[in-house]
Amino acid sequence: MSRTAERSGTATPAGGAGSPPPGRPGGAGLDRILARETTSSRAAASVIAAVLVIGLCGYALLETAVRAVGQPPWLIDPQTAAERITALPAGVPPLLLGAAGAVVFVAGLFFFLNAVLPGRRARHVLANPRAAVVVDDEVIASALARRARLAANVTQEQVMVVVSRREVQVNVRPTSGVPLQAADIQAAVEDELRDMAPSPLPVVRVNLASAGVIGA
Amino acid sequence: MNGTPRILNRILLGILGAKLLLIGALLVLLATVPAVGRWWQGWSADLWGGLRGLFDRTRIPGQPVSWLWMVMVVLLLLVIGLMVAWLAQQGKGRANLLVAEDDAGPVTGNVRIGGGVAEQALRAALADRPDLAGATVATYEFEGEPALRIRIQPRQGVAPHTLAAELTALVEALDAVVGKRTPVLLHLGSGARSRFRRAERVR
Repeated sequence: MSRTAERSGTATPAGGAGSPPPGRPGGAGLDRILARETTSSRAAASVIAAVLVIGLCGYALLETAVRAVGQPPWLIDPQTAAERITALPAGVPPLLLGAAGAVVFVAGLFFFLNAVLPGRRARHVLANPRAAVVVDDEVIASALARRARLAANVTQEQVMVVVSRREVQVNVRPTSGVPLQAADIQAAVEDELRDMAPSPLPVVRVNLASAGVIGA
Repeated sequence: MNGTPRILNRILLGILGAKLLLIGALLVLLATVPAVGRWWQGWSADLWGGLRGLFDRTRIPGQPVSWLWMVMVVLLLLVIGLMVAWLAQQGKGRANLLVAEDDAGPVTGNVRIGGGVAEQALRAALADRPDLAGATVATYEFEGEPALRIRIQPRQGVAPHTLAAELTALVEALDAVVGKRTPVLLHLGSGARSRFRRAERVR
């Protein structure tokens, strides 16, 4: 099994607006499908947020309902809770208060970044006359790794390909004593990539390891 | 291509995140800066005093409890209901019918083709291919009309563009059978099955 790996493209600079795929007869519907498929829907974070809010509201509901019918509170009376909150730096150890604040802050940061960041998935779009085609970067990486392996005439374990949004990195560890030409591998991988024509088209970079592999 | 409300997700997540950020920052400041503590005690005491006056003025006649508690119960129930509704929106959009149209012929009535037709046909066509580790086909409703989502897990090293071209031919054959061009999403993905199973057969 070749060491193909994928990396999300969020770290690449000059992201710009997610370039829509080239024009196709399928029309705007397919373009919208592609736009949705290449970005995250934020469903997981939304589920976490909704469950969190439901839990908090459920507890508040319990205490409020208990208070409304005049029964003794379960954990803390809402009125006492409000009084404690107004007196806040007093009554709670500052370390505990600071730690709780930090936890809440980090949780808020998680949700806020989920809302604001573009959330691109590690996928590329292929042009197709009939269907909207999206390919995981991992699949592209394994296809390119196969091509690079054949061009370099090495075993699967000696090739590792990392595909990100705008760059394909091909790492090859040559067999000891067998010289390799980086340009040949580069040409082969670029040829395969040109046939594939993923959008956006990444740039190929070939790294030959200085240390060889013995007995491969 | 499912009907997850993405803009709504982002808006609600943004609101919740901003609130939590503010609360967290306030707690940290309260714990570290004494001046913020003094300001907070004065400001929140005023607010709480006003609220308490409101609770005192809204007592149910003859009882020591304010009816504002009832209002709060209703409001909390409303928020919980809205959150459940939001949860129910995630990942919705599965459809059952691939085609539901009025037939132009002399016989009155509709023609309905279930999504299972496309799903079974494509799955049967893909079942024996050695270069695929798995294939799932599902019918979704996209912007009011049915669409097909074909998710393929190719084995390691399969060239995605040739695979996509072959699958396109299958989809076009399906178009001819069904008599209608449904929007199709073809997703060539990687999963645990394609990653951990033997890859020698395609290499």
